Amino acid sequence: MPKGEIIEFITSCQDSESGGISASIGHDPHILYTLSAVQVLAMYDRLDAIDVDGVVRYIVSLQQEDGSFDGDKWGEVDTRFSFCAVMILSLLHRLDAININKTVDFVLSCMNFDCGFGSKPGSESHAGLIYCCVGTLSICKRMDALRADELAWWLCERQLPSGGLNGRPEKLPDLCYSWWVMSSLSMLNRIHWVDKKSLEQFILACQDSETGGFSDRPGDIPDPFHTVFGLAGLSLLGDTSIKLVNPTYCMPQETIDRLKLEPQVLHI
Amino acid sequence: MQKSMPNLYDSELQLTEYCLKVNPKSYGSWHHRQWVLITRPDPDWKTELNLCNKYLKMDERNFHTWHYRSFVVSKCQPSLKDEFDFTTEKLLDNFSNYSAWHYRSKMLVELYPDVKGGRPIEDSHHKHELKMVQSAAFTDPDDTSAWFYQRWLLGAVKNNVDLAVISVTPSNTSLAFSQYVSKDFVNSKIEIIINDLPVSGEWLSCIGNQYDNLWIFKHNVLIEDGLDIKVQYEIENGQKQVLSCVPIKPFTYVGRNKVNFQKHYSVPVLNELKDQLESCRQLLAMEPDNKWTLLTTTVFLNCINAKLYHTEVIDNLKTLKSIDKLRAGYYEDLKTKWCIENQLYKDYENGELVFKVNFGEKISCLPHLQYYSHCEKVDLSNQNLTSKVLPSLIVLQNCKCLSLKNNKLTSLRGFPSLALEELDLQGNDLDINEVNRIREVFKGNIIF
Ligand SMILES: [Zn+2]
Repeated sequence: MPKGEIIEFITSCQDSESGGISASIGHDPHILYTLSAVQVLAMYDRLDAIDVDGVVRYIVSLQQEDGSFDGDKWGEVDTRFSFCAVMILSLLHRLDAININKTVDFVLSCMNFDCGFGSKPGSESHAGLIYCCVGTLSICKRMDALRADELAWWLCERQLPSGGLNGRPEKLPDLCYSWWVMSSLSMLNRIHWVDKKSLEQFILACQDSETGGFSDRPGDIPDPFHTVFGLAGLSLLGDTSIKLVNPTYCMPQETIDRLKLEPQVLHI
Repeated sequence: MQKSMPNLYDSELQLTEYCLKVNPKSYGSWHHRQWVLITRPDPDWKTELNLCNKYLKMDERNFHTWHYRSFVVSKCQPSLKDEFDFTTEKLLDNFSNYSAWHYRSKMLVELYPDVKGGRPIEDSHHKHELKMVQSAAFTDPDDTSAWFYQRWLLGAVKNNVDLAVISVTPSNTSLAFSQYVSKDFVNSKIEIIINDLPVSGEWLSCIGNQYDNLWIFKHNVLIEDGLDIKVQYEIENGQKQVLSCVPIKPFTYVGRNKVNFQKHYSVPVLNELKDQLESCRQLLAMEPDNKWTLLTTTVFLNCINAKLYHTEVIDNLKTLKSIDKLRAGYYEDLKTKWCIENQLYKDYENGELVFKVNFGEKISCLPHLQYYSHCEKVDLSNQNLTSKVLPSLIVLQNCKCLSLKNNKLTSLRGFPSLALEELDLQGNDLDINEVNRIREVFKGNIIF
């Protein structure tokens, strides 16, 4: 892929006023796209292509009094945005710019009876949001605050007879949950609580033989979203034909090592 | 013609309702609707609550609707009891409604906390909820929703931080806790006293974090024979407790606390659990291979009296491993954990100074390892340990002789720096170059 053009495009999506980055030129900045931009640049080792201080300023401006983060200036709060914030700042080595204790406290206030997490305090547990919350605690080195055995049990109960994983009890399996569930279990050091072989078969059955892409379920239309999570999931399962993927960042381990980041994995 | 503000707000509500009809899972539409209602001066919350009811009828698991409902509830504040009853109604409709169980858990601890006893849920309600789970389970044992709620109820007991063991040598003073505690906690609640004088020093986490279950105390007191060493620590409501150390060999002192892994229920709740155990056993007699019945029986046994039912619990976990193969790893680790707990009672009673796995089962992980942080000799040979456990060994701060002979290690990545004199790695599928690399940084003798 044309690396130069991609980097140039990202540079032109940064809003000079707020410091945030948008999905495309002329759009409003949002924390989601700011994260994607920072991840792509970190992988290219080209973080110099954006105004880093601007990004830090933008993230700091989104933190609320209770430690939560808005997604953009319109004020939607979600634990996804807490994860985006700490991921962005840790990739930039600027985690100290925000209040980490409050960030952690807000995430912990979203913990539920099943020891999982939802998008806001009071919201039902969901594997995707569990990944975001466990990831936040992994970056902030506060994995101790989890009820690891209870949470990991809930996560391994996501595996269905087909080998695939669902995101909540009594729901259908979907390939992207291979990532949300398996990455969380990896950070909890309990990835062996699911059956790797049948999950691998499920993931491979979701690959479209014509285009090579992956879909949510066998036979559906492939898309880039499920392709990345399919590949990353295979890496967690130990497939060595794919570069090692870091479970916290969903990025190549070599990038995480180069940046000298050490997201926490629980002891077992 | 310019529209008036109320009209503008109304049309926004109509627009979002139209969008939600098309896509009831749109983050944007729900969020915008919420914004309109908190922005306009005259919101009609009753209508909104009805809207939630309508959408929950269409899809009882839509978490957007449930979340919007708690937002509306926070504004119009119907009685919590009404909301609690709403979940009862939803559950009687369909016990498989996990979202309703979730919402119920929130209402329950708000409405009926056990203020006097310090437990999360008041006795009679705790019992009532257990009964409700039971009737759900009898309706359809393979529906998982109620089982998660039951696990939560079984865990809803008082949970205290306790001191596990302190060990003091000339080179190292370490304190292990039953769970992770913060630096602030050790700083403010723990005091080491030698010959009746409080010792000043600095607490260091053994993994280098703000929270840990093993803390190292750096101080300048010379540790020799004939000292009187105590730890004074603060438990609940400011009460102080003292743990005294005894000399176990020259220049070495150890103080062990009582071990306790048993959950403490109130008498009515415990009796309810015993009743339900009986029903489970009856069900099991008819259907011995039903995973959920067997798992529930096993968890009940462990919750009621882990020591008494230990053998039965372990046998059940082995059966579970074969009937629920997808989660074999979970049952294996649970078996390890409960076997280690069972051994810990004996080791602490007997004043054991060596950690050696003392039961017929092979262990697959290292739970509660901080309880053995005082041991100089740790024998983990002939087990099923894989390389993922290696970082956990960091709590063996007093270990001199460690055996990992005949395990399933495939790499030494993550092996912590410990002052070992001897490390036995024989009988593992390790790369000799990797072993040689740690030989270079390691002072002790490596057997491989
Ligand atoms: Zn998906």
